[in-house]
Amino acid sequence: MASSDWLDVNGWSESFSSWSMDSVHDALPSDDIDLQMTIPSTWAWPEPITIGPIFNMQEGFASMQPGLEAFMHATIMCTVVFTVLMLTMLAIPYIERKFIGRLMDRLGATTTLRSLWVGESGVTAGEWWKQLPFGMGTPIGWTVNLLNSIWGNSHELETISRVNNRSYHGYWFLLPGFFQAFADFLKFASKEHIVPKNADKVVFEVAPVIIISTTVLVFAFIPFGPHIYAANSELSLIFMMAIFGVAPLGVFFAGWASNNKYALIGGMRSAAQLTAYEIPLLITVLGVAVLSGSFNIIEIVDFQMGQDEGNVWNIFLLPLGAALFLITMIAEVERIPFDMPEAEAELVEGWWTEYGGIRWGLMFAAEYMRSYAACILFALFFLGGWEAPFQHTLSGLPTVGGTFEAVFAATPGLVWLLIKAWLMFAVFVWIRASLHRVRTDQILEFGWRWLLPLSLVNLVVAIILRLEFWTGQPWELWVPAALSLAALALFVILAIDEDEEALQAQRRPYSTQAVVKASPGSHRD
Amino acid sequence: MSYKANTGHPHATPNFRNLLIRPMWMTLKTALRTVPFVGKARFLKNDYHGQPTVMIDQTTMERVGPEHPSAGQKFAADRETSQVMPFVERPVTVMYPYERLEDLEPWLFVPGNYFGRIGIVWETCTSCKLCIRACPNDCLHMTTELRVDVLDLPDEDDEWHGYGSELEEGGYAAREKEEYDEIAVGFDLINAHADAPQQYDFAEVIEISGDKATVRWSDGSGIETVDSSSLKRAEQDIVSGQIDLGRCMFCGLCAEACPFESFFMTNEYDGMSGFSREELWMDASRTRLLPAVHQERVDMELAKRAEREEKKRSRKAARAEA
Repeated sequence: MASSDWLDVNGWSESFSSWSMDSVHDALPSDDIDLQMTIPSTWAWPEPITIGPIFNMQEGFASMQPGLEAFMHATIMCTVVFTVLMLTMLAIPYIERKFIGRLMDRLGATTTLRSLWVGESGVTAGEWWKQLPFGMGTPIGWTVNLLNSIWGNSHELETISRVNNRSYHGYWFLLPGFFQAFADFLKFASKEHIVPKNADKVVFEVAPVIIISTTVLVFAFIPFGPHIYAANSELSLIFMMAIFGVAPLGVFFAGWASNNKYALIGGMRSAAQLTAYEIPLLITVLGVAVLSGSFNIIEIVDFQMGQDEGNVWNIFLLPLGAALFLITMIAEVERIPFDMPEAEAELVEGWWTEYGGIRWGLMFAAEYMRSYAACILFALFFLGGWEAPFQHTLSGLPTVGGTFEAVFAATPGLVWLLIKAWLMFAVFVWIRASLHRVRTDQILEFGWRWLLPLSLVNLVVAIILRLEFWTGQPWELWVPAALSLAALALFVILAIDEDEEALQAQRRPYSTQAVVKASPGSHRD
Repeated sequence: MSYKANTGHPHATPNFRNLLIRPMWMTLKTALRTVPFVGKARFLKNDYHGQPTVMIDQTTMERVGPEHPSAGQKFAADRETSQVMPFVERPVTVMYPYERLEDLEPWLFVPGNYFGRIGIVWETCTSCKLCIRACPNDCLHMTTELRVDVLDLPDEDDEWHGYGSELEEGGYAAREKEEYDEIAVGFDLINAHADAPQQYDFAEVIEISGDKATVRWSDGSGIETVDSSSLKRAEQDIVSGQIDLGRCMFCGLCAEACPFESFFMTNEYDGMSGFSREELWMDASRTRLLPAVHQERVDMELAKRAEREEKKRSRKAARAEA
């Protein structure tokens, strides 16, 4: 039984397409149109010749209609998915900035809408707008000045605070920092495009296209909900993973074409890294596919949530797989700690050192899009996709179950998926804030000596689960419980791996500390 | 993942715990500390080597005083960030030296066992110059300072009481300032860029007759005859008092070299900056460490000296008998 919710965008689009095409069909004249012309017989041709068609526009349209409907439906769905992607992805840089601010006890970006018009010492961006030729920007300039006079800073200390990024100059419900993404985009869009003199210009221009287009293409196969997807092919998982792996090629192109040693090293590292994580990643995903018995992403989600199917999230069945998927996906999207290709400390942003302007901005957006895709995929493969946490358990509760059921019915699956994906991205940010970048040889060793064997173990676990324990009924509780507890026990054992004796031997008393500071009155006679 | 690595410390061994769990937990703690109410939880506080750190101690409270703007206040006024929910956003810039981290956010302040300002207990210094020899950067210098004979200071029931020397004519004497406590309370160590006030008035002893002593005060207030019981013996001695802080690299070799428990690296981090190189010459009053700061070490040293003094006196007495 396929999962479903009331947000049936796919169905709406389908019915809208067929309704509109039917309307076109009905609007066409139903009568035959006779365009025949008969040439009377002459000495040259004894029979009169009839040329030209008699056609019925409705019939002709009807033969094209399925194709047109499919095209229209696909166009609408692509637009919907792209819109959902772009709108919900706005939260991603916001989470990145603000959560890493919390993790490092900093404030993070504070740009709000109000930042657009708040000026310093009475001079606002309005003055800039007014300088545009032919007074083009004058209305905007007036607006900015007006807004500044109404909601501007009331005291210069506020401005100083703002410049020093010290106090938040606005209201928390305006999501301070959220609008930094727009500001960044404006900056990137208005920057000059520079191609290095000795760069391979064609490849240099083609590389961003490869990276960005394949990244967007990944989302063709990622469902945002049971009814929000652009394409749902039988083997969508394989398509998606294949496309996911194309971007490193573009990275390599970019690194090569820039004619810059840092960029080249970055590109080379990207290619070297690829072999280390891509194979474990695919084998891990294969484990998920084996367990779910399908290469279709929507069916994988259904397997985790269906009433008559598994009914247990994959993370409880394949905790090892979840950990491996997380690690390899971080490597795949080249985020810290596996961001050697762009290692800003040593390679000056690596392969995109030479890019600037909107190309850089879009590639950066593509980078975040890939991270976002990784988060959504984790949610789809391991966190039950668009199912609410413990949906069936909560709905089955004796007294409050009805309430829960109503809430779950009212909440579209998209919401749960987005919450899970954003939380996963917070985990990505958390990892980024905590761990240091690994070295090239370390990721290769880690990939080949740990990730690859572990992913095979995960695959074996999935096969055994599928063949021996899967009965077509919901999982018996002890199976996920045993696997999760085993993973938890392993985690605890690894987490308390501390040599207490050596620690005691190392522990030394405080060195000379001024417990009471030398200040007047702090001495005792 | 726990292969043997000779890193020297169990917390530096590259295992799962140290590479993954600890850093993740540390950053998570930092993030959780910014959450209202939850951030106050005990388990989120950073301890120092497993021992709880108490930074708003009595001394700090006394130092900043009830009038100080940061006293009794969690955040300074401009650290409140939005009118509606002041706790949602929170800036972290500390306006040192007007705000101090240990006053504002003691849970963030971990007193390190780092080497801060050099502190010297003059009273136990023997001017042996070992610190100066140890200094690789040649930044220590000897100065002549007046100091109280600490062997006279201890309480009467201390075992080394009474081994100090008597006042001598031509020697020095010190008297504790009566109004010293008032001066100390009024002195703002944070904002006043000045030396800490003197605790003693020093004087040159001109004449001793019975229990009266005639002294000439060093501050130029003239000659006065006072009870000798109110005076303590003082000495003018060479001590290792001056540092060119601009050359110092805080290696701590000087403190290691000192055999007399008088040379210390403190963990005080302020008062070490200046606008010119000359200001980085820390004179004796800025390196001075009061004996109370390292009372135990000073007591050890005093006991040692008292023992020596006792032996010397008994030898002298034996020689006098013979």
